[in-house]
Amino acid sequence: MNKSILYISRRFGFYLIAAFAALTLNFIIPRLMPGDPASIIFARFKGKLKPEAIDAMRESFGLTNDPIITQYASYLKGILQGDLGISIAYFPEPVSEIIGGGLIWTIFLAGSSMVIAFLIGTTLGVIIAWNRTGKLDTILPPALAFFGAFPYFWLAMVVLYIFGFSMNWFPIGRAFGNEVNPGLNTPYLLSVLYHAFLPALTLVFVSLGGWMLSMRNTMISTLGSDYITFANAKGIPSRLIMLRYAARNAILPNLTGFGMALGFMLSGALLTEMIFSYPGQGFLLLQAVQSQDYPLMQGIFMTITLAVLGANWLVDIAILFFDPRTRR
Amino acid sequence: MKKIISIFFIPLVYFFASCENKTNRDQEGLIVYQENQISWTRNFEPLNPVSICRWPTRGGIYEPLYIYNPISTEWVPWLATNYEWKNDNRKLLFSIRTGVKWSDGREFSAYDVAYTLNLWKQFPALDTRNAWDYLQNVVAISDTLVEVDFKRVYVPGFEAIAGAYIVPKHIWSKLDDPLKFDNPDPVGTGPYTEVLRFNSQVWELGKNHNYWQKGKPHVEKLIFPTFSTNEQTTLALLSGNLDWAGAFIPAIQRIFVDKNPEHHHYWFRNTGYSTFLHTNTKDPILQDTNVRKAISYAINREQVVKVGMYNYTSPAHVTSLAGPMAKWHSPKINEKENWTAFNLEKANELLDDAGYKWKNKNERIDSNGSPLKFNIIVVSGWSDWVRSAQVISQNLKKVGIQATVRTYDFGAWIARMQQGNFQMAVGWADKGATPYNFFKSMMFSEYVKPLGETADINWHRFGIKEADFLIKEFEQTSDENKIKNIIYKLQHLFIEHAPGIPLFAELSWAECNSKYFTNFPSAENPYGPLSVNEQPSFIFTLLNIKKR
Repeated sequence: MNKSILYISRRFGFYLIAAFAALTLNFIIPRLMPGDPASIIFARFKGKLKPEAIDAMRESFGLTNDPIITQYASYLKGILQGDLGISIAYFPEPVSEIIGGGLIWTIFLAGSSMVIAFLIGTTLGVIIAWNRTGKLDTILPPALAFFGAFPYFWLAMVVLYIFGFSMNWFPIGRAFGNEVNPGLNTPYLLSVLYHAFLPALTLVFVSLGGWMLSMRNTMISTLGSDYITFANAKGIPSRLIMLRYAARNAILPNLTGFGMALGFMLSGALLTEMIFSYPGQGFLLLQAVQSQDYPLMQGIFMTITLAVLGANWLVDIAILFFDPRTRR
Repeated sequence: MKKIISIFFIPLVYFFASCENKTNRDQEGLIVYQENQISWTRNFEPLNPVSICRWPTRGGIYEPLYIYNPISTEWVPWLATNYEWKNDNRKLLFSIRTGVKWSDGREFSAYDVAYTLNLWKQFPALDTRNAWDYLQNVVAISDTLVEVDFKRVYVPGFEAIAGAYIVPKHIWSKLDDPLKFDNPDPVGTGPYTEVLRFNSQVWELGKNHNYWQKGKPHVEKLIFPTFSTNEQTTLALLSGNLDWAGAFIPAIQRIFVDKNPEHHHYWFRNTGYSTFLHTNTKDPILQDTNVRKAISYAINREQVVKVGMYNYTSPAHVTSLAGPMAKWHSPKINEKENWTAFNLEKANELLDDAGYKWKNKNERIDSNGSPLKFNIIVVSGWSDWVRSAQVISQNLKKVGIQATVRTYDFGAWIARMQQGNFQMAVGWADKGATPYNFFKSMMFSEYVKPLGETADINWHRFGIKEADFLIKEFEQTSDENKIKNIIYKLQHLFIEHAPGIPLFAELSWAECNSKYFTNFPSAENPYGPLSVNEQPSFIFTLLNIKKR
């Protein structure tokens, strides 16, 4: 047990260093982008503002010409205090509040569809690898690979157009309906599920194939191992062999992949959010980049970084549980 | 597969559909789209230019003294009833309307006006037009009279003062920091002031029951759901879940109008100004006026409009002024050179005379033997302009000029423009109630910055003394005939020097679905702009829309 704790804390130390490096990069990268925020916002008014107002704008954004070291120090200090500054694109809202608003929806939509895709995909992978010559194994892998190869935005648009617009079965956008009031009430919660259905469906659909194929492949090579043959020879029930002997070992690469995919989830739901008008991190990030909103960009990158590192740490712990070798 | 659908999908749809009534939309509220947002932030602060306040804060909640109607090109008295220049244009008097109330029931007066304008002085970040550069003093003489004293004569200052959104003194004077204020519960003089509900996905703005125009507005409330893309907006317009929008829709006749000609309408109004092909006049080749004119002659604007702009707009006038601004055209305009007309012969002639010879029949070379080559920079994703630039590039090939279209992200594009790091670019030009702003941005030499330094205006870096003189003269006079004459002379200078190349008339995008609401303006009934983006003149429309 002590060794496990040592392992977990060693991993934690590693992620702490990684987080510091990522935060530093996070500070540097937005500043390498061309253009300065005040000029860009000024330009967005397309001549409705007088040029003289631009210095005043710089002043109210708090954009300073301090040396970069001073800016870096105040950036680190702000992070430790949980103060991510004031957004430029949503002035004068604090960044932490804006991210909070977007993050919940992204985690809900992308997170739940990822978990669903992972669970269904992995289960299907186990089943089709077990019945390797069955009907499902001949149909599913090529079919899902086929759908997975479609450009995502195209698939999502088609789904939106058919089920949302033409057939009018599902709403065509937003996280909940106009008539409900947010809070813990049944109409609101149902409306949220109703609105999340189509975007989640598309997300599950495109990512299902990947999980299923990788699970199937590792499962097949695991099934060829001597200890499976031995277990069969001993007369262990086949369901037990499938789940406890083969799947438990074959799932390890998929678990690692899950930790990695979390990062893509937080930033990668952008297209879904755009097409379905769904509130979330991805769209915020796009707006932040377009309006040179450094504080918001940094805030979003930071949450993504921390989420990925945190998820990987949790996956490390999960692997500890699944794979006894790491405990040694 | 069919079985799976029938046992899983259909009950699910019925289940959800029974929880939410999609077909019965709220017909009391006008659903409006103005901005791409994915979740709303509650901000109704009108003064700070960087504050991203919700539409219609500027105009619909807070109103100015005068509202400029871009169609009739008149200043309509609003919170003021009259104005008068005094002391050789050094003093401006505004008579303030009586009987106007703030939405909280308090009396509106000249003191609020004076307070708002003095707020600009106290917080320069709010002074978006740099008005205190020419203002001396603003005081309320009585409840109904505001006196504005000028440091120096600057007649165009009227626009800044008349267009100022007036805020209540009794609210703003209690704030610690007006620059960080987001004004969640607005108190204004406008027709819509009551926030009925507000969440991240939808909010509603109700009628001001104290509104000073009796009987208006007609519509009980405005509803604002979020829309993140133009595709979403189009689908909502088609399905009747959006009544009024200002979005760009390609092939609008086929996609939108033809689906229901009775209720689906659009009006892409000519704003009076043009989209430009900016030419960097500090470029060794483009500094030659005749080269710029040759390029302009070589552009087939009919084709640009057809391919690039879905035929929505029309080729630019040589002064760039058209539509409502055409009334400013000089009477001598027909005697002047018309270099926006498509004329390949003339273009070739000008290039020959400038010393650029043909080589191999497909390109021209300069005296050093290097080919005539330019880049046209455009913002990536602004597809209409990108296509237009591609047509221009094809056109220029015919006169032996190689023009390559390069697209940049908005931030990178604007940085290049401002620093003069471009040769040609498709972009907009400055505009205003009179063509003064436009000509000043095109030819005023005090705006010209050296290459590499950030210029917020006059990116093409062109200035001439004659124009400076005329512009300064314009700023001194309130005499209509003098103003006209100055604008005529500025046009003549513009035509002579071609500081930039006008391409096509600029439009404002606007659509409506009149299924539930009626009396939207149109080209036949142009009482106001249909576009929600025309701030603050959309208020004319907002006050006239009625429930069916």
